[in-house]
Amino acid sequence: MRRKRSMPGAWSAVALTFALAMGAPAHAAAPVVPGADQIVTRTLPNGLKIVVWPDRDIPNVAMYTWYRVGSRNERPGITGISHFFEHMMFNGTKTRLPGEFDRLMEGSGGRNNAYTSSDVTVYQNWFPSSVTGVIFDLESDRMRNLDFDAKKVESERGVVYSERRSSVDNDNFGTLIEQMKATAYVAHPYQIPTIGWPSDIEGWKVTDLQDYYRQYYAPNNAVIFIVGDVDPKAVFELGDQYLANIPAQPAPPAVTTREPPQLGERRLRIEREAQTPLLAMAWHTAAAADREARVMEVLLSILGDGDSSRLYQRLVEKEQAAVDIGTAMDAGFDPGLAYVYAVVPPGGDVSRTEKLIDEEIARLAKDGPTPTELTKARNQALVGFWRGLETISGKAQALGDYEVFHGDYRKLFGAPGEYESITVDEVKTAAATVLRRENRTVGVLEPKADPAVQATGGAK
Amino acid sequence: MIRLAAMRAFALSCALLPVAAAFAADGVKLPAYQSATLANGARVALVEKRDTPLVSMSVTVRGGALGDQAGKEGTASLFTDLIQKGAGTRDAAQFAEAIENVGGGVVAGAGTESLTVNASFLARDVDLMLELVADALQRPRLDGTEFDKTRTLAVQSIVAAKDSDPRALVGSYGDAWLFRGHPYGRPVGGSESSLAAVSLDDVKRYYADQVGGDRMLIVVVGDFDSAAMLKKLEQAFGSWRKAAAATPAVAAPMPVSGRPVLLVDKPGATQTYFWLGNVGAARTDPARTQQSVVNTVFGGRFTSMLNTELRINSGLTYGASATFDRGSQPGAFSIASYTETSTTTQAIDLALDTLARLHKDGLDAEQLKSSQSYMLGQFPPTIETNGQIAARLADMLFHGLGPEDVNEYASRVASVDAAAVRSTIDQSFPQPENLALVLIGDAAKIREHVKKYGPVTEMKISDPRFAPGGK
Repeated sequence: MRRKRSMPGAWSAVALTFALAMGAPAHAAAPVVPGADQIVTRTLPNGLKIVVWPDRDIPNVAMYTWYRVGSRNERPGITGISHFFEHMMFNGTKTRLPGEFDRLMEGSGGRNNAYTSSDVTVYQNWFPSSVTGVIFDLESDRMRNLDFDAKKVESERGVVYSERRSSVDNDNFGTLIEQMKATAYVAHPYQIPTIGWPSDIEGWKVTDLQDYYRQYYAPNNAVIFIVGDVDPKAVFELGDQYLANIPAQPAPPAVTTREPPQLGERRLRIEREAQTPLLAMAWHTAAAADREARVMEVLLSILGDGDSSRLYQRLVEKEQAAVDIGTAMDAGFDPGLAYVYAVVPPGGDVSRTEKLIDEEIARLAKDGPTPTELTKARNQALVGFWRGLETISGKAQALGDYEVFHGDYRKLFGAPGEYESITVDEVKTAAATVLRRENRTVGVLEPKADPAVQATGGAK
Repeated sequence: MIRLAAMRAFALSCALLPVAAAFAADGVKLPAYQSATLANGARVALVEKRDTPLVSMSVTVRGGALGDQAGKEGTASLFTDLIQKGAGTRDAAQFAEAIENVGGGVVAGAGTESLTVNASFLARDVDLMLELVADALQRPRLDGTEFDKTRTLAVQSIVAAKDSDPRALVGSYGDAWLFRGHPYGRPVGGSESSLAAVSLDDVKRYYADQVGGDRMLIVVVGDFDSAAMLKKLEQAFGSWRKAAAATPAVAAPMPVSGRPVLLVDKPGATQTYFWLGNVGAARTDPARTQQSVVNTVFGGRFTSMLNTELRINSGLTYGASATFDRGSQPGAFSIASYTETSTTTQAIDLALDTLARLHKDGLDAEQLKSSQSYMLGQFPPTIETNGQIAARLADMLFHGLGPEDVNEYASRVASVDAAAVRSTIDQSFPQPENLALVLIGDAAKIREHVKKYGPVTEMKISDPRFAPGGK
């Protein structure tokens, strides 16, 4: 199924950020990435920054436009509007009717998508390099001239509701993670589900969208990454032609709320039609740019990446207390959450699974990782780094991640040294200080006690 | 007013299209590859590509789930799970550690007509990669304790999937319903009930009969020297035994007539997930490119007819699409979407009407041109990475296709004309009156309404199988 205009929902946003953050190398010396010395940037007078990485492997271009706005910028009443706005960015401008953007792009050989997270909204275009000018025209038009057709707003509301039903309401994992975030944060807007609460999906108004456009969709709140078969000089000329005269706007209001320290474990329980119980734990940790986030990535990798990881070996292989386990992290501009989760076997004992996870965490906090485990985590990060740079889209995504969350795209290439410098003691300390009971939220989804379901409850 | 504006948009896109068409003529080519045959008949293709320090390997073994005995579906799949749970000198944990310590990846899996083992490692670890893949295929331990765990996990994973997003499952029910009685209808991963019937002896028999060097195709792409790599492959795989049994053959499946409906009850579901399919086309169908040109317009991209009707114009769903699954024989052509329970029949009616409109109106010149530009523009990124190139080459060679499958892609796309479009719609796209329907949803709420499509058979999502009936 297509994931057009996807909202990396409660869970996949977490996984995405984690994958990207892990997409950084772990090698003593900075690896030499072919072509990285060709990257050039220009910031237009209106504050719009353009980063170009020429790569002529295939005759195509990946163009990613990042806006620094996401559900973190929302408030009760308009939850989900960042993501809804993302949908409306495809639905007409003062010069183009709804649908024209996609018809023109696809008819020119291009394809597009977009995603919204708690922190950012990213618009992705993939197209043959011969139509770069057409794509600049389209992208600049919606940055400058977006319009809101009342009928489109209503039909798109239905589309987003369908997306919510698919990724949250009819997916037990999506349901659990949404509730976990809403419980783990009592003050910070990371508590808001990016897809939006149902009553807000029903309630957004055109004026809300207009306000959003004015506040956040300004050239000075965006960065564009262009990777592929292009000449930077020609790209900057297109930038001058299409983007330079879009007026800058006042900086959007800063998100100033900080989550206060958690004072004790929080627990939540969901009852659903289900055969397999789910268990998840989330701990408050750092922002993406903090060193602690790097340490936590390594820690989570040791706990849960691959069949040789501690949790997989203990819970799935040795004890059969889980069908699958995993970890994730969703650090962004502000301190995020580190997750561990387990899919419990049908009819399984959730409290036993939880006890085994507790034991593994305690062991890591007491003894730390082995040097072999640390090397393994670094190697996995190194391979992830290279895999991320195999495609023009991967390069555009990685540049954006480092430019936006770490403040400078060049840190992408400096990250190897950072991973290399992480020590056994740092991981041990993080296990003890972050993975504390009073710093966590535990969520359990259990099958609803329904006799009819029990009677036909599938194979054991 | 709106009409006028729409026409203006039309003119604009016309003006821009020739740019894309000009690019299209010289489409991307498959990188040059070296072919060889090992002593035991295994075929090899090698591509040197040195822009990242990575190597991807794709091993294909002909047979796959076609070699499963009826009632023991999932045997081939359990075999591929189990070869990663101990092989050669390593037990399960040591095997996983050997891969993960160096940041490598090995994924083995069963398909309908073949098994595949795909590996990706840093170039510096290529010897280890070859050793692990060779061990997995030639020296799997097939240990009894690991088998029991693997089979239990396989069953539980299916149960867990039934609690998750039904979009991932509707195709499994669709194939089982459309291809009833044909091997393409057997679930490759098995079902809860068929997995319960598979023993370790069945897996060992499968290994002896259906897996061997004469069935093997090896593709390696990345940062290496071809001559050295070929020597290593000969050493690692060239003396492997042959499979004991004949390669399973499969006949062309029969299309369905009428509209049999399978309703899979998922109590409490707030959406209905639907799949409408019939027998489509094979991988080697000479008309495959024109089928894709038509399907791009019908259900293969965001502005497709289906997505325009069900999503863009009506807001009934987040997505609607159509696909051809292609095997050595024609697989399913299917339409898939989902909608809120109360709009179930509205959405299905609209999908059927859209298929009827494709047959009635065909494509106009503008749609044809737009589809061609789109296919040409979006093709290069499909063979960009080592893994993509390896998979593409393996698929081509498996189906007996040569480099022209890629190298003449652009000219095949560009040569599709109105007559080809018409004959493709007539021959390759089912009529809306002849479709197997699968619906996953809250049966109590939709049962009565969906009777209008055809005779309804009902099962529960918790039934331990993907097809109705059984024990």
